[in-house]
Formats: sequence, C-alpha cells, structure tokens
Amino acid sequence: MTVALSIVVDGIAYGMILFMISIGLSVTMGLMRIVNLAHGGFALLGGACAHVLTNSYGIPFIPALLVSVMAVVVLALPLERLVYRHIYRFSELEQVLATIGIVFIMIASVNLFLGSTLLPIRMPPVVSSPVDLGFKVLPLHRIIVILAGLAVVTALYLLVERTRFGIYLRASVDNQATAASLGIDTPKVYLAAFALGAALAAFGGILGAELLPIEAYYPLRYMVLFLIVVAVGGMGSIIGSFVAALSLGILDTAGRYLLPDIGTIFFFLAITAVLALRPNGLLVKSS
Amino acid sequence: MKRLCASLLVGSIALAAFCSTAVAETIKVGVIATFSGPNAIWGKQFQEAIQVYVAQHGKEVAGNTVEFVYKDVGGPNPDASKAAAQELLIREGVKYLAGFDFTPNALAVAPLITQAKVPAVIFNSATSAINKQSEFFVRTSFTLWQVTVPAAHWAASNGAKKIVTAVSDYNPGVDAENAFVSAFEEKGGTVVEKIRMPLQTTDFAPFLQRIKSSGADTVFAFLPAGPATFAFTKAYNENGLKQAGINFIGTGETDESTLDALGDQAIGLTTAQHYSAVHDSELNKAFRAKHAEMFPKSTLNPASVGAYDGVHLIYKLIEAAGTDGSEAIEAAKGLSWESPRGPVSIDPASRHVIQNVYIRRVERDGSRLVNREFDVIESVPDLGFSR
Amino acid sequence: MSANSTIAAARPQIRGAATFLPPIILLAGAFVAFWLFPYDLGFMTRILIMMVFVLSFDLILGYAGIATLGHAAMYGCGAYAAGLFAIHVSADPLLGLAIGAAAGALIALVSGLLLMRAHGLSLLMLSIAVTMVLQETASKARGITGGADGLTGISMGPVLGIFEFDFIGKTAFWYAFCVLFVILLVLRVVVASPFGLALRGIKDSPSRMRAIGTPLYRRKVAAYVLGGAIAGIAGALTAQITSLVSIEAFNFALSAEVMVMLVLGGAGRLYGALIGTLVFMTVHHIAAGIDPFNWLFVIGFMVLAVVFFLPEGLISLPKRLMRLD
Repeated sequence: MTVALSIVVDGIAYGMILFMISIGLSVTMGLMRIVNLAHGGFALLGGACAHVLTNSYGIPFIPALLVSVMAVVVLALPLERLVYRHIYRFSELEQVLATIGIVFIMIASVNLFLGSTLLPIRMPPVVSSPVDLGFKVLPLHRIIVILAGLAVVTALYLLVERTRFGIYLRASVDNQATAASLGIDTPKVYLAAFALGAALAAFGGILGAELLPIEAYYPLRYMVLFLIVVAVGGMGSIIGSFVAALSLGILDTAGRYLLPDIGTIFFFLAITAVLALRPNGLLVKSS
Repeated sequence: MKRLCASLLVGSIALAAFCSTAVAETIKVGVIATFSGPNAIWGKQFQEAIQVYVAQHGKEVAGNTVEFVYKDVGGPNPDASKAAAQELLIREGVKYLAGFDFTPNALAVAPLITQAKVPAVIFNSATSAINKQSEFFVRTSFTLWQVTVPAAHWAASNGAKKIVTAVSDYNPGVDAENAFVSAFEEKGGTVVEKIRMPLQTTDFAPFLQRIKSSGADTVFAFLPAGPATFAFTKAYNENGLKQAGINFIGTGETDESTLDALGDQAIGLTTAQHYSAVHDSELNKAFRAKHAEMFPKSTLNPASVGAYDGVHLIYKLIEAAGTDGSEAIEAAKGLSWESPRGPVSIDPASRHVIQNVYIRRVERDGSRLVNREFDVIESVPDLGFSR
Repeated sequence: MSANSTIAAARPQIRGAATFLPPIILLAGAFVAFWLFPYDLGFMTRILIMMVFVLSFDLILGYAGIATLGHAAMYGCGAYAAGLFAIHVSADPLLGLAIGAAAGALIALVSGLLLMRAHGLSLLMLSIAVTMVLQETASKARGITGGADGLTGISMGPVLGIFEFDFIGKTAFWYAFCVLFVILLVLRVVVASPFGLALRGIKDSPSRMRAIGTPLYRRKVAAYVLGGAIAGIAGALTAQITSLVSIEAFNFALSAEVMVMLVLGGAGRLYGALIGTLVFMTVHHIAAGIDPFNWLFVIGFMVLAVVFFLPEGLISLPKRLMRLD
C-alpha cells in the first residue's frame, strides 16, 4: 500500500517535470506541426541565461527566471522571422535537418561561452528543503513544479480552446490559405505561437533543472524524452501531453520501484506497447 | 667481400644507434582523448595539465624535444580511437601514446601498441583489466578497486555497521559495488541491500526511498560525474536522508569539475579518492598556482593529476630509454616519484600506480567548495588486478 | 522529389555511360585516396563502413520513405553478432559478415513487423524504443557482451584465407571498399527492379500503389529487412576492423547522424548517400582537428546551408550550378 502510494506521488512529481520540459514542444510540434528538434535548445538558452544571472550576478531566482524567459522570447522573435518562417514549408525530413542544424549552433554557442560542464541555477535554499506530507517526504521543489504544471496546463487549455487566438491558431494550422482569406493574419499568429513555445521551453527547462540539470548538450541528451511525451500524448493535444507526461512519470517510477534491475527496458517496452496500440497518442483512438 | 659488407652493416647500425641517442630529435607523444561533445571536459583537463607540466619543466628531455599531438575521439568511441592511434603511429610517428578517458577507447588500441611496441600511458580509464590486454599499458590514474576498498575499510572502522550500496548499472558501477561489498564484509560489516540504478536516470526518488527504508546507517554510492551525480546528491538531501542519519560515502562523485555545481548541499559528503585539488603539499601548491595562472577560469581534478603525472612518467621514460618502447616499459616498472597527490610508484606487476588514497569531506573554502582530506590509507596498489 | 523519381524511372532507356561511370569514378576515387592519403587509411576505412551503413538507410528512408531514428539497432546487432561469432566460432571475416547480415535482417524482421504498421512520430519513437531496449540489454548482459567496457578478444583471420589484417590498415581499407562496392552494385539492381520501383511508388503515392494491388505492408517489411541486413554488414565490418564492439553501436546519436548524412547528401539517390557521408565525416574530421571545442558550429551551419540552398542534397549541386540559379 505504501509502495503504491509512493509510486503515485513520486510518479506525479516526476511526470510533472516531464510535462514542464516538453510542454513547449507540444506547442511547436503538436499545435504548429513543425518537427522542432531545437526545442531543447530554447530550454538550454533559458537555463544558461538563468545560470549566469543567478550565479555570476547574484540575482534572485524569481526575477532571473522572468528575465531569462523574456530573453529567450526576444531571441525567438527574430529567429522565427528570419529562419523558422521558411522551415514551416519544408518537408518533415528537411525540418529535422534544419532544426538539428539550429540546435547544433545553440549548443556550440553555449559551449563556447560557458563550457560543457553543468550550469547550476541557484535557488533559495528553502526550495530544496524536504516537506513532510505525513505519509511521505517530498522536496518543496517538486510541490512547486506540480503547482506550476497545473497552472500552465490550465492556462494553455483556456488559451487554445477558449480564446480568439486559439481559434486563429487552430484555423491557421489546419488550412493556412483559408484562414488568411478569412482575414486572419497567419504570420502573426505563427509568430506568437512560436514565441509561446520558446517561452514555455525556457520556463520548463529552468523549473526542471533541479532534476534534469542544464548543460551545453542538454537538447540532445533529453531529446528522446521530449519526443516521447509528445508522441504518447498525441499531436495537437495539450491535455494529451499532460496525461501522457503524468502516465509516463508514474510508469517509469513504478518500474524503478518494482523492477529496478530492468527499469529502462521495462519503460521502453511499455512505450512500444502504448504506441503500437495507440499510434496517434494516448487519448486519440486509432482509426 | 662478405665480411666487408657485414662490417659495413654493423658500422651503419652502430652509427644509427649513435645518432638516435646523441643527436637531438623531436619525440612526439600522441594524446587520444575526448575534446568535443558532452564529455569534452576530459580532453580539456588533460591538455591543461600537460601544458602546465611543460611550462614548469620545459620541452627538452635528454637533448630531445617533446611534442604533443592531440586527437579528438568525441566520447566513448573505440572505432575513432583505433583510427586515431593508427594515424598517430603511422603518420606522426609518435613514440608514446597517452590520454584515454573511456575504457573502450583504451582497449581498442591494445593490439596496436603491442604490435608497434609503443607504450601507452593511461591518464584516466579506471577498469583494472585494461592493463592485462597489453604489456605496453601503464596507468597513472586509479582503478575502481583501488579507491573503493579503502572507502569500505574506512567506513567499517568509523562506525558503519549496516550498509546499502547504490550504483549506476554499468560496468564501473558493478565493479565498485563488488569491491565495496567484498571489502566491507571482510571487515565484518553487513550489506543490507545492493541497489543498481539505470544509468540514464536522473530521478532518484524511488531509490532513495529504498535506501531510507533499508535500515542501513550508511549508503555507498557510485555514479558517473555529471547530471546523474548532480541529481543524486540533490535527492540525498531533499529526501531527508541526511536528517534520517544515513551517512554518505562515495569515490569520484565530488569531482572538482562539478563540485561547485552541486552547491552547498554537497557540504559534508565523504569520499575516498587519490587526489584532491587542495591536497596540502608544496608540489601541489606549485601545480595549482601555475595552473591558475595559465587557466584562471579552470580547476584541477583527478583527471588533471593523472595527465600531469603521465607526462612526468613519459619524460622519465624518454630519459631512460629514448624511443625504445620495450626498454621504456621496463624502465617504468618500479619507478617512483613525488607527485602533487603525494608519493607514487609504478607497480611492476600491474604497471599501475601505487598511491595513497585519501578520505575527504566537502567543505566551503571562500567562494569555492573543496574536498578537504582528513584521513589517509597509504600505498594502495591496484587491488582489482589479481581478481 | 517526385520529379526525380520519374526521371530515374525513365532512366533504363539511357543506359551506357551513365551506368558504368559512377562505379568507375568510385573505384578510381578509392585508388586515388589510397595513394594520396596513405596515412589516413584508418579514418578512410571508417568512412567506407559508414557509407555502407548510410546506403542501407537510404534504401529505407530515401527509397521506401520510411523515416526511423533507430537504424543503429541493426548496426549494433550485426556488430555484436559478428564479434561473438569471431570469438566463439570462426575467425573467417566473410562468414562473419554473413552472420552480421543475418543478425541485422533478423532484428529488422522482428521489429519491422511492428514498426511498419506505424507512421510519422510514433514510427520514429518506436524505432528509438527498440534501439534503447537493445542497448540496455547489451549493457546488462555483461557476461556475454562485456557491457560498457566493450566486447574484447576479437581476432580476425585473413580475408579469403589470404589477406592478413595489417598494422597500417591496407587490408581493412580494401576489404571495406570491396564490401561497399558489391553492396552498391546490388542496391543498383534492387532499386531498378520492380521491387525498387514499388518502394518508390509506396513513398510517392501509397494510395495509388494500394489501388493497383501492391501489398504495401509486406513490401515495406521486405525493404526494412534488406536494409537491416546491410546495416548488419556495416556493423560486422566495424566489429572486425576495430576488433572491439561497444554499446555505443546502439547510440541514438548514431541513428540521428546517419539521417543527417543521408539528407545532407540527397535521400533517394545512392550516390547522394555516399557524398553525404564523405562530406559530413571529412568536414567533421578536419573541423574537429582544427578546433575540437567549436567544430559543432561548422557542422551546424553546413547543415543549415544545405537544407536552405540545396534542398535535394549535395548531390544536386552540379545540376544547380549548371542551371545557375
């Protein structure tokens, strides 16, 4: 019983981190339909910025987080105008190649200025203190991430499903020509969505850095992890990604509790089974 | 006629031999390491230490000029390592190979160095069995058994009764686990649980839960430096293990290259290692001062001292044997010198360095975190070689 | 892309020089490289092996349009199979290649039966998952594979009982080249055969192929198995020439790199695969030699430049220059 409870609590805490680090990709890849392998690159840039601000300039965590996310957005806007706008029209393979090229350059830039070692982000000490929930001790950090994850998924759901921007975005992705002819400024919609994806990547990367620490090769090291969440969640579904991240978190944690010796094999076999049965994602029934 | 030819031949050989010892030549040393990719830190540490040694001792050895040629293999990549060694031996005509961060990279060159009779000085790779693959391997770093057995003995004689081991599930981790368990049980301790954790994971909450409920008083951990160590030491604090009174003992987890990244929560972690950047000796102070002068943004770690002593060894071998590889290997056996880590010597049987293993605790020293040595186990050979 | 394939389909009529020229250039290139760079045989052998590997991926991705990110699965299986065969059964290199091909084909068949039913992102993820499971298994089966230290003790006999593997790597170079050459010739026949045309049809318009009664799934599995066998041969070559197999043979980065090399050169063209591999590995080698810490910039910009200015890959460069646009 206590094991089951531990699996659920630890699994949700881990799953929420998975959700946070891959939510930006759910927006660019899931909603905008670009194979954006550079997603982790934006998380890396945000994390590197937060590292420099908190470590070298001693700026407190919260302002550093906000400044870093803003900085990534400021960088993403011209990048979208100059580079990504062309990438939207590419075939999937060309998108893979182009975004890999971009992520290589991002990695090389961070490596050039900050080296290839870990780039820790200083947080207030209280964040890493253990909190006793009565039945289980959980670091405060995980509780913050769980709350932030819930806030992000709610806000995104409302944004995509309930606002005019969401309608425009879905219309633009489904049929750009028709959307444009209806008077939707599709380039602007894409720009805004892309910036949102980059901002979320940076936000998630910084919040998740306690578990998946930032370093120059972050985007490649965890690429498989980001992609798994979006694939299992299903393209175009924020809620799907959320459910997928939590399920994967619980699944992986269960593997570590119950079958520690073959945890990794178990995890990937389970993913194989899920994708074989539900090739379009957890919540989408295969046609 | 025949006799004339023979004497001419003998004469020319003698002349050639005379030339090779007396006339100054450039002796090249090929360094195979990782300079790019996520593990580029190895190559960087090696290169810096080599440059510091050369700055302190000059390029001239017994009238010869020593030149270092670097080859990047981009991580654990035996194919690239073998091709690099071939290129160094054939094109550059190197007389010594050096470097080697990952075990497969060292193993891949074993047939080549045996055939070419070229000594290869290992600056890091810590698997005992490497030196069995070729007579021409000499190692100036450490092996897992060499530092883990002292860790177990120290823990046993300092109050640890019940131990749980938590290692990454790959060869070095399993090596460390075997070494620790056998040494600890030998001293009468009990190992209550052996946990192997997936190599790729950074979420250790489930394992720390098991450690906590195992009833052990001490956890021995082995993880690769980098994200895994970062996340594990964080989790060790965050999950309340420290408060629960479960002590930590490790080996290379508090490597200086990632120590500052671990932050204040690393304070108090106890490890057994052969070198700390703040080892208290004149020689180490000079090493550190020169290094800080040449590379102000960098820091020394065990890889640095492995390379520094490796170059020292190569210089000594050139003095003793010039470019004759077989003679150089014979000269290496039993050689002893004073290293920045303390007194060291090369074990003639295993061609591995015999050295002190220090017990250290992480402390804050001004703006940096350091591994402060407070106990020592003297003259430890490679305890894993005969297994 | 579809314009290309119609050109290629019409090609049988204009045989002659176009058929024989490329293999002759390749052969001449090998001789020139051997003569010009006698000290780089080790590196050039790695390029040749990688060419075999990228060719096998070209059949799957370039011709059949099956995009995976787990091609290292077959490469790694071929490497381990050939390595274990050499240690425990026979040191004959050619037999080892056959074993590597069989291992690659077998794992491609077993995984392909599942994978070829999937598309898009889930196909990518499934292929990654298969490779991860294999890598983790190889890492855990330390008693058999040597785990993370690598499989050691491989010692090869002479090729055909005559040519000993030498220190400089001459035998290894020509051995790898001959394997590449034979595979290239075989693939030329395959892609021009009805089977090859069916693969192109599946890639360009699956619905039409289904309408004319082509069993898509079986054709794709067959292509995947053939590609797997060739990838297994590439793995076997590495195992024999390096005399060591490490679990890095299953790396995700290797699968990704193969895709980059192929798309860089031009997917769906056999010589595109060769050119992409040659350029990528040479640029990497030179850039890493000059500045190991920052070579990734060079690769990044090169990849971006190709995808933006030469979307059909480097192989389309002469044509583009000719048209001057």
